[in-house]
Amino acid sequence: MELKVCHMYPDVLNLYGDRGNILCMKRRLRLRGIDAEFVRCPIGSSASLSGFDLVFIGGGQDFEQQVLLDDLHRGKDREIRAAVEDGLPFLTICGGYQMLGHYYETYDGRRCDFIGAVDLITVGSDVRMIGNYKFRCEPDAGGTVVVGFENHSGKTRLGSGVKPLGKVLAGFGNNGEDGTEGVHYKNVFGTYSHGPLLPKNPAFCDFLLATALERKYGRAELAPLDDRAELAAHDEMCAKL
Amino acid sequence: MSIKVFFALLLGRAVRLLSRLLHRGGTDMPGRLALKLCPDLLTRLARGIRCVAITGTNGKTTSARMIEQAFSDRGLRYFANRSGANLVSGITTEFIMNADLLGRPRKEYAIIECDEAAAKHAFGMLRPEVVLVTNLFRDQLDRYGEVTHTLANIREALHSTPDTLLCLNADCSLTASLAGDLPNRVVWFGIEKGAAPSRPQPEISDATHCIRCKTEYAYDYITYGHLGGYRCPLCGYRRPKADYAVTDVVEQRADGSDVVMSLRGKARAVSVNLPALYNVYNAVGAVAAVTEMGLDAEAAAEALGRFRCGFGRMERFPLGSAGARMMLVKNPAGCNQVLEFLERLTEPFVLVVCLNDRSADGTDVSWIWDADFELLSTLGPRLEKLIVSGDRAADMRVRVKYAGVPEERTSEQRDYESLVQTLEKETRPIFLMPTYTAMLELRQVVIRHCGGAEFWE
Repeated sequence: MELKVCHMYPDVLNLYGDRGNILCMKRRLRLRGIDAEFVRCPIGSSASLSGFDLVFIGGGQDFEQQVLLDDLHRGKDREIRAAVEDGLPFLTICGGYQMLGHYYETYDGRRCDFIGAVDLITVGSDVRMIGNYKFRCEPDAGGTVVVGFENHSGKTRLGSGVKPLGKVLAGFGNNGEDGTEGVHYKNVFGTYSHGPLLPKNPAFCDFLLATALERKYGRAELAPLDDRAELAAHDEMCAKL
Repeated sequence: MSIKVFFALLLGRAVRLLSRLLHRGGTDMPGRLALKLCPDLLTRLARGIRCVAITGTNGKTTSARMIEQAFSDRGLRYFANRSGANLVSGITTEFIMNADLLGRPRKEYAIIECDEAAAKHAFGMLRPEVVLVTNLFRDQLDRYGEVTHTLANIREALHSTPDTLLCLNADCSLTASLAGDLPNRVVWFGIEKGAAPSRPQPEISDATHCIRCKTEYAYDYITYGHLGGYRCPLCGYRRPKADYAVTDVVEQRADGSDVVMSLRGKARAVSVNLPALYNVYNAVGAVAAVTEMGLDAEAAAEALGRFRCGFGRMERFPLGSAGARMMLVKNPAGCNQVLEFLERLTEPFVLVVCLNDRSADGTDVSWIWDADFELLSTLGPRLEKLIVSGDRAADMRVRVKYAGVPEERTSEQRDYESLVQTLEKETRPIFLMPTYTAMLELRQVVIRHCGGAEFWE
């Protein structure tokens, strides 16, 4: 078995230890004897997503946002929309998560058009939602409790046709108001959780890898790994929150 | 002098005395309370003092100590906020303690390191003669926000001091951009092409795109992180020529570096009494600041071979039979430089990483994944033991596991007392890598066991 993973915009979306997510996927695949190819797709790279089994998009700074949007609007936006509808698994964090929505409206009312691959919008607020937090994934998104760190001022609202990734147990989540966190649409998983997300939440990482393997091979067998260190970090933060 | 100033000074001194009686540092509270009573106290006290201020992400404390050595060698009457109390309150405390009760300065010079976010308020009050900006890197995002925000803070701070001379890092595209829209006079420092082997572009860089026009930079060479010979192919923004330049890094040793500097065109061999390339930057920046304060460059350069830094910056302790060094880490860029220093060591050693997530450390520990701990996995048996500690030891343990450090060589020890007792029995050199609040606590315990100065001394 083999997975080909696209790391989209590692050159500008790399802010909150997102590299840890890549390291985590690599390691957990390697230990199961599953070949993995991780392809860095920086700004200016080919728009095509054909041949990929999983796409990862991290979070970034506001400074490079325009560079990013210009690049997206040169064809990657169409490609991503089609891939999402086709059921290609995506893991998107923070800025990468917001980017899949229709738009971001800043606190002073300026609207920035995103790619509209998932029915959600984000509106800037005057307070930042910062801190360790945890949420429980919905059953069809693995059902596990995820701990992470959130740092965003945008409040995300989901459209009527899409479901959240989970319910907030402690912290803010999508907007600090409706108790939802992230999005789960087809095989797209979007979340505000960096920290990074996957190393401390190995069950969620395996759920994501299994989703990609099942789509490609119709089955996924992921042998259990020694996750004592990962779970110790997970449980310790869970207990604090 | 107003009566308010008198009482503010009296209050400040009383609080300081009380703090010291209670064995607390009293570096922050006296200034904070005195400012409540007299909000323009710092402005008043700073009048008539020749001040050099140091700000930037990494290297503030070390640069300040280097400058201090040059001042003290020359017998100048100066004071410094030595204990890292670098917010407006801490700076005010130092000014209170160095003035008489009528507010008259007891010293001629002040060497003040200033937090990047606090600079906005502090610079206007201090009106420094020289401001040294060391560099800008992503740092504690939950506290400072993104790096361009910190840059904007410093720019705003400098808008209030048009007469200040700026010593700017030419190799940092973020720092160098301060020169563009300010009326201030500027001198540049940096490391020249070919002085040290150019490194490949790092996987994660904090400044890939032009700060002026957002086009991707081209690089002639990279010293570390995003520092080096950048130029923008579109708008022409580029590294300026350095007035104070390192032209050759002759040797990097475990205890220092030998370099050649060109100081306003005059070549001079300089020995830097601290290891690692980032301290070469601190050294050349300090020489620039000292020279521009009116001392001669020779004296400034000579001081670098003599000074001792301390306070967790490559600080030495007689711990274990081969001794220990404490190397504060705060962000990916600084951490990577420490890891590269460890990579150069030839003897086996013991490494302790203490990760805290209190507000002074940054509550978000995700930065450890942006740092190249993978370097540790290339060391083989040279990394004899790795101990993780601190409030977030569990996260650190996961990080080094994914970095590929063999798990049998890794252990966890959270209690500093037993940690230090274990370390006392070590025969290998020990390297302690704590975050800020972990450094304060661990340092106390180490000092209790093997001696050293309290943090405010």
